[in-house]
Amino acid sequence: MSIGPISRPRRPVDALARFRCKNPILAKKAIREGQPFSNARASANHSQAYVHWGGVNLSLDKGQVLSLIGENGAGKSTLMKILAGVQPPDEGEILLDGKKVEIESTRAALNLGISLIHQELNLATNLSVGANVFLGREPLRGGLIDKSTIRKESARFLEMVGLDVSPDTLVGDLTIGRQQMVEIAKALSVNARVLIMDEPTSSLSQAEAENLFVVIKDLRARGVSVIYISHRLGEVKELSDHVTVMRDGENAGELSREEVTHEAMVRLMVGRDLSEYYERKDREKGDLALEVKKLRTPVHPQHELTFSVASGEIIGVAGLVGAGRTEMLETLFGVTPALGGSIQVSGADLELDSPISAIAAGIALAPEDRKQQGLVIDMTVRENLSLAALRRDQKKAGFLDFAKEKKISEKMIEAMRVKTPNENQIIRYLSGGNQQKVVLGKWLAMKPKILLLDEPTRGIDVGAKSEIYALMEELAESGVAILYVSSEMEEILGMADRALVMHEGRISGELTREELTEENIMHLATGGEKTAA
Amino acid sequence: MNVKILGITLLLVALWLFLAVQVPEGFLNGNNMFNLFLRTAMYGVLGIGVAFVIITAGIDLSIGSIVCLSGVLLSLFLSVSYHPSDREQVFAIDPQQQVIVLAEETDRFEEGDLLRYYGSTQARSAVVTLSSVESTNIPGQAGDGTSSASLLKVEGLDGNTSTARDGVVAKLYPIKGVDSAKGTVLIAGKHEGLAARDQIRFINPSGGMEQIVVAGTESIDGNTRVSVDGDTGALGEGWLAMPLLRDQTMPVPVALLSVLGIALLLGVVHGLLVTKIHLQPFVVTLCGLLLYRGISRWLVNDRDTGYGNEYESSLSLLTNGKFELFTLGEPYGTYSVPYAFFIFILVAILAAVFLNKTIYGRYMLALGRNVEAARFSGIDTDRMTIIGYVICTVMGALGGLFFLNYSDSIAPSSHGNFFELYAIAAAVLGGCSLRGGEGSILGVVIGTALMVTLKMFINLMKISDTLEFAIIGVVILVGVVADELLKKAVARRQASKS
Repeated sequence: MSIGPISRPRRPVDALARFRCKNPILAKKAIREGQPFSNARASANHSQAYVHWGGVNLSLDKGQVLSLIGENGAGKSTLMKILAGVQPPDEGEILLDGKKVEIESTRAALNLGISLIHQELNLATNLSVGANVFLGREPLRGGLIDKSTIRKESARFLEMVGLDVSPDTLVGDLTIGRQQMVEIAKALSVNARVLIMDEPTSSLSQAEAENLFVVIKDLRARGVSVIYISHRLGEVKELSDHVTVMRDGENAGELSREEVTHEAMVRLMVGRDLSEYYERKDREKGDLALEVKKLRTPVHPQHELTFSVASGEIIGVAGLVGAGRTEMLETLFGVTPALGGSIQVSGADLELDSPISAIAAGIALAPEDRKQQGLVIDMTVRENLSLAALRRDQKKAGFLDFAKEKKISEKMIEAMRVKTPNENQIIRYLSGGNQQKVVLGKWLAMKPKILLLDEPTRGIDVGAKSEIYALMEELAESGVAILYVSSEMEEILGMADRALVMHEGRISGELTREELTEENIMHLATGGEKTAA
Repeated sequence: MNVKILGITLLLVALWLFLAVQVPEGFLNGNNMFNLFLRTAMYGVLGIGVAFVIITAGIDLSIGSIVCLSGVLLSLFLSVSYHPSDREQVFAIDPQQQVIVLAEETDRFEEGDLLRYYGSTQARSAVVTLSSVESTNIPGQAGDGTSSASLLKVEGLDGNTSTARDGVVAKLYPIKGVDSAKGTVLIAGKHEGLAARDQIRFINPSGGMEQIVVAGTESIDGNTRVSVDGDTGALGEGWLAMPLLRDQTMPVPVALLSVLGIALLLGVVHGLLVTKIHLQPFVVTLCGLLLYRGISRWLVNDRDTGYGNEYESSLSLLTNGKFELFTLGEPYGTYSVPYAFFIFILVAILAAVFLNKTIYGRYMLALGRNVEAARFSGIDTDRMTIIGYVICTVMGALGGLFFLNYSDSIAPSSHGNFFELYAIAAAVLGGCSLRGGEGSILGVVIGTALMVTLKMFINLMKISDTLEFAIIGVVILVGVVADELLKKAVARRQASKS
């Protein structure tokens, strides 16, 4: 499946999304180039506040991988939901094999062979792999579920995605990466012709992602068309036959396989060059801010973690998913109790029994799961920004200081460049990047000494990413010690003054700025030992 | 005011207008208005209580049982008994020999004293004159050996023909004079223990009895002048007085604080079970519902209980006392507001301030929406949740106080049944979401008024009250459906605006 820009001569297509054009400039262009109105206007009903839909036009060939990239809020996910029948377009039409189709429900989409794999996994973890693959369309025999057919059939699809588990295994017992494969098997089992994957690697480790790429390439060879949405440009480059870049709900540009480079993609997404992407500066380290000795976490009690962070230092924590990085941050923040070892902040021993004591000691955590742990998404920007600071800023006897709350939230909105109409906007309606800025703003209002960031740019568009990197630099400059966990190699290479690499619950090595290379990180992350430099 | 509260307010006003036009005499008269205020207040405190639990994404099903338990406890703690100032337990009587044997040795009685023998299941009451007191021995309680006791030789047990082994003797004092105009009675002897709110039973030896409440006493030359609250017209020379001392189990403040304290403790237990043991609120409070109901019934042997008119001038004023506004001609009568309503409004204002103006209210709203994010923001979510449960049970106890005073006596097997559902319904109508994190005290107040008005509507419109639950059910259902549709519409508008 491929998405053809207006300027390209139309190729034979398997599916074509063609919408009536509302955007006069694009319409003129279309007319000038002798095309029918082929620009999209699909309006997002329930989407974020900052999706301004102009028009999108996609076409996709059989057996092709089309990557769709763009900043958060550009409308990628919304467009995919329209194709998968999750929500209807306001206007426009969708052609499949040259025939106009109405996709009114997810079932209709499945019947047409369009299958969407959501960003978050949608599996029933208490059911078996086979039961998940056939969930909602269980084969029956005599009115009862036909388990042997499920077993036989699902085994076929599992083999197709290279997943070597029994169909009877409980999904909950599988790693996230394997669960992702079950999702794909499930999507394929409807005889999908078009497979839409929304950020499939966001929770996968490098090795799991590699495995996924092999599967995608195999599917392509079998004639399945894939629409691949991702923020990770490296994998986009590796996989794509074709790249469509979206910005503000419109086509921002098209790149063919030959034209795909990292720089070109970023330029189209944000309109500037990659050199502006990381602005790492060399800084003077300050005093020791955090010293961790022989720390044992409940998840990996057999390993002891020892390291230190100086104020003004930015330390990356690399490793595969499941290496125990999040658990380490949660223990440092008092969410889960330590089983042993000591934590010192500015030289003073710290007893951590809850986030309350961690915050009091000047530690802040921006958790990985923004919507579940970082924010109360049905409250306003102001209420979220002030949540941690309420106790400090209270008037007598616990009364809220509304004036101060408003002032601080306005200041933070400005400092963090949060795109929101006002401080009373409900967080839910902000894009992921803006939500993350609110999480950071909440902690910056507390003036922390030590900032723990867990996947700070996960699911965030390129523009907001670089803003967050710049902010990290700024904070380090002002003396904050930053410890950040990232699964993006680039992010570790680009930002870290020093990196801890974790493997299965232990710190397998520490890399200085000079030692920071992709090879070194991967070597340690996969369990290798650090060789003498 | 948000759209939802506006909606139910409009519905409430529409219902009032409808009733005012359809059944003006029934709905608008002073008594009915008083009832509207009173019931809103009584159910309203329960609604406000449960609103806090619902805001923390919990539920409390035990409210009705808490109302019952606190009512039963209050009636026990404040129960009043009267007993004669000078009395002794009787071991046995023998009418033939004109002898009364007491259970213990005593020097309380002297020759010539007038005594009343009563309280036997077998022998008749009698007024007797004591001729002499002797010591005697009676069989010991354990059945071996003996213990010393007093033997009273008396005159006047003639009326009795049978012996008895129970009853009481109490000393009687002759009346020396009655001043009906001033409402005073002069009684022989000093009665230093006698005070206001005690009672005197006046006995005419030739038949007749009057029991009158004491207002005050004054000692005069070895006699006591007692001013009484009641008619002394029937009394005269020859009558005898038996002073009865009032025995209240606990002082009122102690009783109230004990009951509120017990409720607070139950709330803490609910909260601890929910937060520390991670039990589901539904299960915890369902067990509470059963447990407190059972304890209530056991405490009073499943008998109706209450403190009658003992606290007419104090506690009972809560629900019976009224602040009069104005009087219209018949059939409307006098318009007044019960004191309970003022307390309710005070509670509502405090609750609203707590919820909206303090950091703790904000914490509850935040953790109700997302307990994990609240915890990650340094909020002591367990403690705030426990506080929610405590507010609910304490409000339940306050409601228990109201309902006990409202009903003269309560039946422990049915008192407060379904009150938790009324409270939850009022909270939900008033904008609380059972998903948590959402709620308005004003909404709960209006929701409660709506529930109360609905019940009146059913009554006044002469609809069969068997339909009561059905009608309330439909209104709540329509309310939440409308709310949900409205929310969708608002979200859609928000999206299209941007």
